[in-house]
Amino acid sequence: MRQHLRVAAGTARLELLRMAGSRALLVLTFFEAVTFLVLVSLFGITGSRAPTALVDQDGGPYARLLASDLAAAHNSFSLRPMDARSAAAALGNGEIAATITIPASFDAEVNAGNTVALPLAVDNVDVDLTDDVQRALPSAIVSFGHQLHLPELRVAVQEQDLLAHDTGYIPYLTVSALTLDALVVAGTLAAVAVARDREARTARVWRTSPASAAAVLAGRLGATGLVSLLALAVTVGCVIAGYGVRVQHPLEMVAASVACIAIFTCVGAWVGAALRRTIAVVPLIFGITLPLYIDSGALEPARFDGEVIWWIAHASPVYYAVGVMEDAFHGLRVTPEPVWLDVAALAGFAVAALTLALVSLRRVEAH
Amino acid sequence: MGQAPGAAVRADSVTCHFGKLVALDGVCFAVPAGAVVGLLGPNGAGKTTITDVICGLLAPTAGEVTVFGHEVGRRHLREIRRLIGVVPQETALYDELSARENLHFAATLYGIASPLRRVDELLALVGLATRAGERCDRLSGGMRRRLVIARALVHAPRLLILDEPTLGVDVEARHEIWGHLRALRDGGTTVVLATNYLDEATALCDRVVVLRSGRVVADGTPGDLVSRAGRYVEVDCHPADVQRLAEALYRRRGVRLVEEEPSGVRVHVSGDDGAAEDVVTAAAALAALAGFRTRPPDLAEIFRTLE
Repeated sequence: MRQHLRVAAGTARLELLRMAGSRALLVLTFFEAVTFLVLVSLFGITGSRAPTALVDQDGGPYARLLASDLAAAHNSFSLRPMDARSAAAALGNGEIAATITIPASFDAEVNAGNTVALPLAVDNVDVDLTDDVQRALPSAIVSFGHQLHLPELRVAVQEQDLLAHDTGYIPYLTVSALTLDALVVAGTLAAVAVARDREARTARVWRTSPASAAAVLAGRLGATGLVSLLALAVTVGCVIAGYGVRVQHPLEMVAASVACIAIFTCVGAWVGAALRRTIAVVPLIFGITLPLYIDSGALEPARFDGEVIWWIAHASPVYYAVGVMEDAFHGLRVTPEPVWLDVAALAGFAVAALTLALVSLRRVEAH
Repeated sequence: MGQAPGAAVRADSVTCHFGKLVALDGVCFAVPAGAVVGLLGPNGAGKTTITDVICGLLAPTAGEVTVFGHEVGRRHLREIRRLIGVVPQETALYDELSARENLHFAATLYGIASPLRRVDELLALVGLATRAGERCDRLSGGMRRRLVIARALVHAPRLLILDEPTLGVDVEARHEIWGHLRALRDGGTTVVLATNYLDEATALCDRVVVLRSGRVVADGTPGDLVSRAGRYVEVDCHPADVQRLAEALYRRRGVRLVEEEPSGVRVHVSGDDGAAEDVVTAAAALAALAGFRTRPPDLAEIFRTLE
C-alpha cells in the first residue's frame, strides 16, 4: 500500500513538473476557465437586454409615466430615449432591436379616455428578440393602467414566490458556468495527460515497471485535478467578487467544486485512455461540452424544457453538477432529485469513468 | 524445446496474432543467464513483439515465456518486472523534465530506497552527471539513449532488454553505448538485444537468434551465422564475358548463387574453406579480369540466405 502511495505521489509530482514545464498550458488553462465564465455571462447579457429606442413625442406626465413603466416592465428591455430621426437611423443600422413611439397626442387621448395606438417598429431579424419586446409591452400597459385606475382593467397579477429570494439570470448563469468550467478544464487536462502518455510512448516506462496502473493514474489525475481546482477557484472568485454572487452554503460550495473537478477529471481520464490521441481529445471534449451544458439546466431548470430534454439530461453528469452547484451558491433546487441523489449520481459517473479508464489502460496487458 | 538449465528467458512455441497478421509463429529460443543474446532481423520480423511478450506487455496467442523460471502472465508480472529493465525502441523520455527528474520518476516506480543517490550513481555511470539538470529535449540523440539505458538500470535488473538501442545515433555514441553494454555483460547482467545491425550483434552478442516474418530462422553464435552465410566474390570483367562467366561459375563447388552485373558477376559461395579462392581462380582462367573482391554478406544478404 505504501509503495502504491509513493508511486501515486511520484506520478503526481511528475505531472505537476510537466505542466510547470509547459507554462503556456497552465496560463491558457486559467484563461480558459475565466473566458468560459465570461462567455456564458455574455450570453445572458446579450439575450436579456435588447436595445430598444423610446421616442417620446408627447413629453407629458402620462407619457413619462408610461415610459417609466416600460423601463420597469421586462428585463429584456434596454430602453434608450431618442428622437424619431435618430431612432429610425439606429433601427436601420441595426444598432437597436425596436422603436417604441409615444405619440404627441398621448396625454390628451388618455385624458379623453380614448384608446391610444403605440407605434412599434421592430427589426425582426431574430424572432426571439422581437417576441421579447412584444411580450414586454402589454405588461407595461397593464401597469400603467393600474396606476391611473383606468376603469376597463379587470385583471391583476397576484405573485406568490416559491422561494424567499429572487435569483438574477446572470448570477444563475454564472454558477452553472462553473460546472462548464469544471468539465472543460478538468476534462481536458486529464484527457490530455492520459492521452499524451500513450501518444509519446512514455506509458511504457511505468507499464514495464512493477507499479500498478491504478496508482499511476491516481497520481496523474491528482495533479491535473489540483490544477483544475485552482483554475476553478479563480473562476469562483470572479463569480463572488466580480458578479457579486452571495454564497448561501459555503461548505457545500467547496465540496461541490471539489466533487465536480474530481468527477470531470475521471471522465477526462476515460476519454484520454480511450482515444489515446491528444489531437482527438480536445475537439471531442469541446464538442460534447456545450450540448451537455445546455441540456443540463444551465440556462434554466432542465425540467422547464420539456419531458424529453429533461430525461435526456439525466444521462449527463453536468445535469447533476448544476443541481449541486445551484443549491450551494443560491440555495436553489433546480433538479427534482434531492441534492444527495445528485451527489450520488455524480459519484456513480466518476466510478464508472475511472473504471473504464483503467480498463482501457490495462486492455493491452490482458493475460 | 526443452527447459534450458539456468535460462534467464525461455520462449516456447510463442505465437502472436494481430487479427489476420501473424507477428510471431511458434518462436522458440532460450537466453542463458549472464549471456548477451541478440534478436536479429529486418523491420517487421517480430523483434519488438517478442520483447513485448517477455516484458508482459503483450499476451501471446499461444505458447509461453518464462523469465528466471517465472511464467510471464498476470500472476507473476510484478515479480518479473522487478527482474527486468527495458530500453524501448523509442526513448520514451519525459521531454519537459530534466535527466535527473526522469530517473527520479523511474526510481519511484521501482520503490528504490535512496532514489537521489541511485540517480546520481546512474548519471555518473552513463556520463551525464554534468547534464543532469538539463531538459531532455535539449540532449543529443546519443545522450538520450544513454539516459534511457540508465533509466532501465535504476533497479539493477538481472535481465536487460534493449530494443534497437543505437537506432539513429552517430558512430561515436554507438560505440559509447556498446561500451556500457559490455560493462553490464562483464558484471553478469543478462542482456537481450533486439537489433537490425549485424555488426552490433557480432560485437556484443554471445548468441544470435535470427527472426524473419515472425519465425526463428537461425540460432547460434555470431561466428556460426557469418560462416553459415558464406562470402561474396565480386569479379569485374568485360561486359561481353559476363554471361559466359556466370554460367561457368554457377557449376563450381560451393557456389550458391551467381548474379550478373553490367561489368561483372557477383557470386555467393558457402563458408567452406577455399570456395571463394576456387571461384576467383576459375574466373581468371575463363576471362580477362579487371579486378575482384571478396567480402562478407551484409544483413539483407544474410536474411536472404536464411529464407
